Amino acid sequence: MKKDVNITIDFAGLKLASPVFTASGTCGYADELADFMDINALGGFITKSITLLPRKGNPTPRVVETDAGMLNAIGLANIGLEQFIKEKIPLLEKMSAAIFVNVAGQKIEEYVQVTAELAKQPAIAGFELNISCPNVAKGGVHFGTDPAGVRRITEEVKKAAADKVLMVKLTPSVTDISVIAEAAVAGGADALSLVNTFTAMAIDTEKRRCVLANRTGGLSGPAIKPMAIYLVNKVYNEVTKKSGIPILGLGGIKNASDAIEFMLAGASAVALGTYNFIQPARAIEIVDGIGEYCRRNGFDNVHQLTGALE
Amino acid sequence: MSLELAGLGAEAFETVTPGQFAEFDLTGASLPSPEDVPVELRDAIERKILLRRPFSFSDVRIEDGRAIIDVLYAVVGAATVRMAGLKPGDEISVLGPLGNGFTIPVKKKLAILLAGGMGAPPIQHLAKVLAAGFKNIEVVTFAGAKSSDDMPFAVSDKNTAIGPAEFPDYGLEMLIATDDGSTGYKGLVTECFRQWLQTCEHKADDTIVFCCGPEAMLASAAKLCEAEGIECQVSMERRMACGTGLCQGCAVECGTGNSGQSVYQMCCKDGPVFDSKEVIFDL
Repeated sequence: MKKDVNITIDFAGLKLASPVFTASGTCGYADELADFMDINALGGFITKSITLLPRKGNPTPRVVETDAGMLNAIGLANIGLEQFIKEKIPLLEKMSAAIFVNVAGQKIEEYVQVTAELAKQPAIAGFELNISCPNVAKGGVHFGTDPAGVRRITEEVKKAAADKVLMVKLTPSVTDISVIAEAAVAGGADALSLVNTFTAMAIDTEKRRCVLANRTGGLSGPAIKPMAIYLVNKVYNEVTKKSGIPILGLGGIKNASDAIEFMLAGASAVALGTYNFIQPARAIEIVDGIGEYCRRNGFDNVHQLTGALE
Repeated sequence: MSLELAGLGAEAFETVTPGQFAEFDLTGASLPSPEDVPVELRDAIERKILLRRPFSFSDVRIEDGRAIIDVLYAVVGAATVRMAGLKPGDEISVLGPLGNGFTIPVKKKLAILLAGGMGAPPIQHLAKVLAAGFKNIEVVTFAGAKSSDDMPFAVSDKNTAIGPAEFPDYGLEMLIATDDGSTGYKGLVTECFRQWLQTCEHKADDTIVFCCGPEAMLASAAKLCEAEGIECQVSMERRMACGTGLCQGCAVECGTGNSGQSVYQMCCKDGPVFDSKEVIFDL
């Protein structure tokens, strides 16, 4: 007889319906995926990056497929804080998944201002601090690669976030990701999400030019999964296991097996990114698949998977 | 290639408009043997593809509750090589119809259709819809290609330099232009159109131009139409990762009135068909 499996999780104090999120920049601002699946079965939903002022983003080409992956250089194109509050918060209020707003900026004050304003919104459960976007000239990775900078921005934004959960998103493009993770935790991060895309480049050999207008972009998709798994496991063992800070694992997940790999490596929850583009109902299939795996393997609670690597 | 959809898929395509598109998942399609692949694509096909690919339709018909979708395509890369390997009975996942197609203003009296190269399919679809449902609109079509061999339409001997020809199947007037002059007018299709327009009696207000093709051709048609005061709709093409507005990759730069400012609209959600006056072409 099949056992009932509890797939709800506690994530930095939030009670989530499942351990599956959709990743920032791959699921729109709010209900864009509702046409394809029951978004209320998601544990969490992370909006596109929001900046203080609207951003036009980069010229095209902004995306290109590479071997088992893709590069993007969107350039944090977004509608800005004011329009986000006016147009998207009413849609987010109707969703039951925990809503995380991905916050980006060029200066710490910008991050603080956006976070403080959005912390007043009851519809928002938390923030994902984007200090790891590879595609803008200032900000992004610039903040995310310096431990002292990471600690400082985390401290400042944590104050602005008030009682909301603060998750810091880490770039993989550093020498030792644990040093950065440690800095974020020291700064007061309630959770970590890793990894963001890998800075990468593709060249059109006929034109002898970079394919992307931005020249470089962020590599995502199945191509990065083994590296992302390794980094999650490293941060789990070296930083978060002892502090009890949960990890949101992401990077190349396409199905439940991939998601389970991340959890076994140490993630408390996972986020589906690039694959939303290909199979927009996949996140919910992963929720079902994780439950099925637990049943088959005798786990009665999905959190037992976290760090269960032998 | 023809696709057949039943059930929900057929329902979804009942109301499709010319210029809309769908995203095909070709990751499961098998590769042809290397000797059947053009030499210049032999490296490309070794790449493991991941994303869906957008395609427009040259015709959509509903027959016995099933939607039949005709797709005209050229083999240009890792995905279309796989598409060429599909056999009757094979299945692929189709996400669509997506985006906004051409809008046909019923009050117009003359519709001019411009197809350039592989921009031909939605123009063919539009021609059929106009011929079947808009008897009050006179339709003139122009098709351009590098040479007669590259012309996606069937070309008959009746095509002369600038003269009437039969649009295959629909009985519409069609003019052909090829860069090398191997068929029809020798030169750009937009130049053929410009010369024809000078000889044609028309009122600018009663006329509309629908365009699909390379961006330089769209820009040239847009400029000509603006000078003539003729409404013009262009179907844009961009690299897309999703086709559903999620990735924000397929940006088309558009003007915002007289402010001198521009914004990026999404080819997949806001287009792919745009009013030509909005678009700032990327040349």
